[in-house]
This record gives sequence, structure tokens and C-alpha cells, in this order.
Amino acid sequence: MSDYEGGPANDDDLSLPRATVYKLIGEMLPEDIACAKDTRDLLLDCCNEFIHLIASESNDVCEKEAKKTIAAEHVLTALQDLGFGKYVTEVQEAYDEHRKQQTKDRGRKSTKLSQLGMSEEELQRSQELLFAQARLRFQSQTTQAPPSDGTAASTGDTQ
Amino acid sequence: MVASESAGAVASSMLPAARVRRIIKEDKDIYACGSESLFLISRATECFVESLVRESYEFSRLDKRKTVQYKDVAKAAQSIEQYDFLADIIPPSVAIRKPAVDS
Repeated sequence: MSDYEGGPANDDDLSLPRATVYKLIGEMLPEDIACAKDTRDLLLDCCNEFIHLIASESNDVCEKEAKKTIAAEHVLTALQDLGFGKYVTEVQEAYDEHRKQQTKDRGRKSTKLSQLGMSEEELQRSQELLFAQARLRFQSQTTQAPPSDGTAASTGDTQ
Repeated sequence: MVASESAGAVASSMLPAARVRRIIKEDKDIYACGSESLFLISRATECFVESLVRESYEFSRLDKRKTVQYKDVAKAAQSIEQYDFLADIIPPSVAIRKPAVDS
């Protein structure tokens, strides 16, 4: 076996997840076309290599501008410089969508809550309702057992 | 292209950010990478694998095969100038032997 950079068969921390890349490959091929396993692993390594390439080039662009953190523009320039200009449109599109998404998320207090589609007053009302229901349930439980001197801990036998 | 069919798919990447960041950080020359840049690199990588897969597939098609093989990727990598960076990871013994041309 040649001294191949493939590495161990398990998912390396410094490699993209195997399953994810396999899935991507599958999505790009017609349904009736297969991809040999060693080929998929090769493609995985190519992806890792590509990331190194772009990151390194982006870093060069970044340094030339006397900046320390790689910014989006540096990546776009790097892609052009490396001859991957044809990716720029799609990547730019993704970037714009991504930014829109980020602003939307920041605009709401929390994405989970906002997905419920309820206003804050509605949320508060439903919360109070839930509390009231819980209180009723609790009170009906305690009336079955002999009334204690108000300590909640002694309801252990209620079942 | 699959990725641009819905705005939702475009705004995210299938590649886990933490993993991509770790790969980037392997390069000691890199001081820091913003999260937006990370996202762009992820999406660019998806574009890359899409291109490489499609180009490799073309070679298997020419050979009338239904399975994309190692040699197809090797041929694709050799035939496109932008893929010169892949030369090191595709062992020459497996790559197609090009006739030595002295110009």
C-alpha cells in the first residue's frame, strides 16, 4: 500500500465526517450510479485538502490587507485567485441568505419561542394557564391524602 | 444545482462548522477565521465536491461504467488545472500515466 494520506478508517477529528461527504456524493450522482468506497474516501481527502487550500489562500489575502481575522471578502477573493471563480456566485448567494437568516434570528428574542408563532402576551397567558392547571392538580392530590401542615415534601405517598 | 433549489438549503451548510474550523486551524499560520468565512469555506467545499464528482462521473460515463472509480477522480484531477493541488494526494501509481512530453 502506498504511503497515502488516507489515515485510519475511523472518522478523524481533522477530517470532514465520512457519512456527510458520502451523502453529498450520493446527492450529486444519478440514482443508478454508484461510487466505489475507495473513491469516496479519496473524494473525502480531496475535500479536506480543498479546505486547507482555501483557508491558506484566504489567510494570505487577509495578511495582505494587514488584517488578523479571515473575513468573508478574503475567502471570495481567494476563490477567484485560485481559479474557482465559478463558485463565487453560488457562495455569494449562500452568504447573502445566511446573513439574512442571522439578522432574522437576532431580531427575535429566541428562535425556539418565535417558532411557536405566539406573541409575548399570548405566551404569558398560556404560561399562567399552565401554572393554574398545575396548581389545581396539586391541590386535588393533597386533598386525597391527610392534610399535612403545608409542607409539600410529605406528598411522597400520593400515587 | 441541488444546493440552490431552496433558499433554506442555500443558507446553511451540510458540513459541521466545528469540524471545518478544526481543519482550518491545523494551519498554524492562520490566526483567526470569522464564522461567516467559515460558512463560505464550507459552501465552497460543497461546490468543489459537486464539481469534482460530476467531472469524475463524466470519465466513468465515457468508459460506459455505472460505478465511479478511483481512476475517474484521478483523471478529473489531472485534466483540470485548478485541481493541481490534488496531485500530492492522488498517488502517481494510481493516476493515469501521461506520456512524457518534452516541449
